[in-house]
Amino acid sequence: MNAALLYLLLLKGTATAFAGLASLPVVQDSLVVHYHVLTDQQLNEAVVITRSTPGPVGLYIVSVGYFVAGLAGAAAGWLAMITPALLVIPLVHYTRRHIEHPRIKAVLQAVVLASAGLLLAAAIPLGHDALKDWVTVAIAAVSLAVLLTTEIDTLWIILGAAVVSLSASSLGIIARIT
Amino acid sequence: MVESASTTRGLAPAPSLGRIIDFFGRYGNFTLGGGSATSAVMHRELVTKRRWLTDDSFALCFALGRLTPGTNLLANCTALGWLLRRLPGAVSALLAASIPCALMVVVLTALFSAWQENHMAQAAIHGAVAAAVAITAKTSWTIARPHFKGGARLRVIIIGAAAFGAYAGLGVPAIYILLLSGVVGAFLPAARS
Repeated sequence: MNAALLYLLLLKGTATAFAGLASLPVVQDSLVVHYHVLTDQQLNEAVVITRSTPGPVGLYIVSVGYFVAGLAGAAAGWLAMITPALLVIPLVHYTRRHIEHPRIKAVLQAVVLASAGLLLAAAIPLGHDALKDWVTVAIAAVSLAVLLTTEIDTLWIILGAAVVSLSASSLGIIARIT
Repeated sequence: MVESASTTRGLAPAPSLGRIIDFFGRYGNFTLGGGSATSAVMHRELVTKRRWLTDDSFALCFALGRLTPGTNLLANCTALGWLLRRLPGAVSALLAASIPCALMVVVLTALFSAWQENHMAQAAIHGAVAAAVAITAKTSWTIARPHFKGGARLRVIIIGAAAFGAYAGLGVPAIYILLLSGVVGAFLPAARS
């Protein structure tokens, strides 16, 4: 895929999301569903990669760009990630007196809540692609429980999941659901 | 500088661009735990230790960063850089906070691609990817949770469920759902969360 087009598609995701992973449904919609240049597996891997390195979660866009178009795609992803951040400059400079306006807050809140619902919906195809045996289902369930009940860093959860899966594979106990 | 004379009392002189790049390169890229943890470390360094900015200025940048589309942490860094050195400071902070970690991600992504044929690496990756599904689902709650209080609870459930249903059940493109939610938000009573 052309890097310029990839940049615009990724920017459509980042410019309409208000948190790192919140752009994932738009990216999934464009690159997995419509253009077929990315798989759900690669999207999942991009999340893993980003949560395994320091830095913001929004970096998964760089990984997505690399999966789609190599280094040029990674550069497009990086640009798509940083472009919306520049919008904060006029916000700081001109509009900070209006930012507490109830109507503006209501609009932003509605967009944020919709992005939360979209992200949960986006987890369904990701889960369908990633959870193919009892071990991965158990890993996802335990990981979710740990994430909801503790403040443990996600890096340790990813590392633990990798170790459990590797051990299970080595012991040959993975039984296919289907 | 955006800060007024009354609020800048006791602050250190504005740092050079080189020090801004050094600061954001160091703390924007190498802190584990996501944007909130990184912002907490930056607050300690910028406000408490180096005294480059006041508490109020940092809080303003943090709040505006949350309201800017894209990655909140990068918007936060850009706003802090703007307060320190206007446009050169903002651009320096943004580049310094994003280039090193992006390069790390490129290297790791290339390794992931190279590991496609390695059986042991694939087994480990399958486990990690299963955990990523849980992380994605949990992030949804992380985004909604700050709004889930008081009279806003019903709004969280209705808008979140409507977006979920429209995307997962009806196949409406995500971008349309987000735009529509903004329009709906404009007609809702003032947010109380």
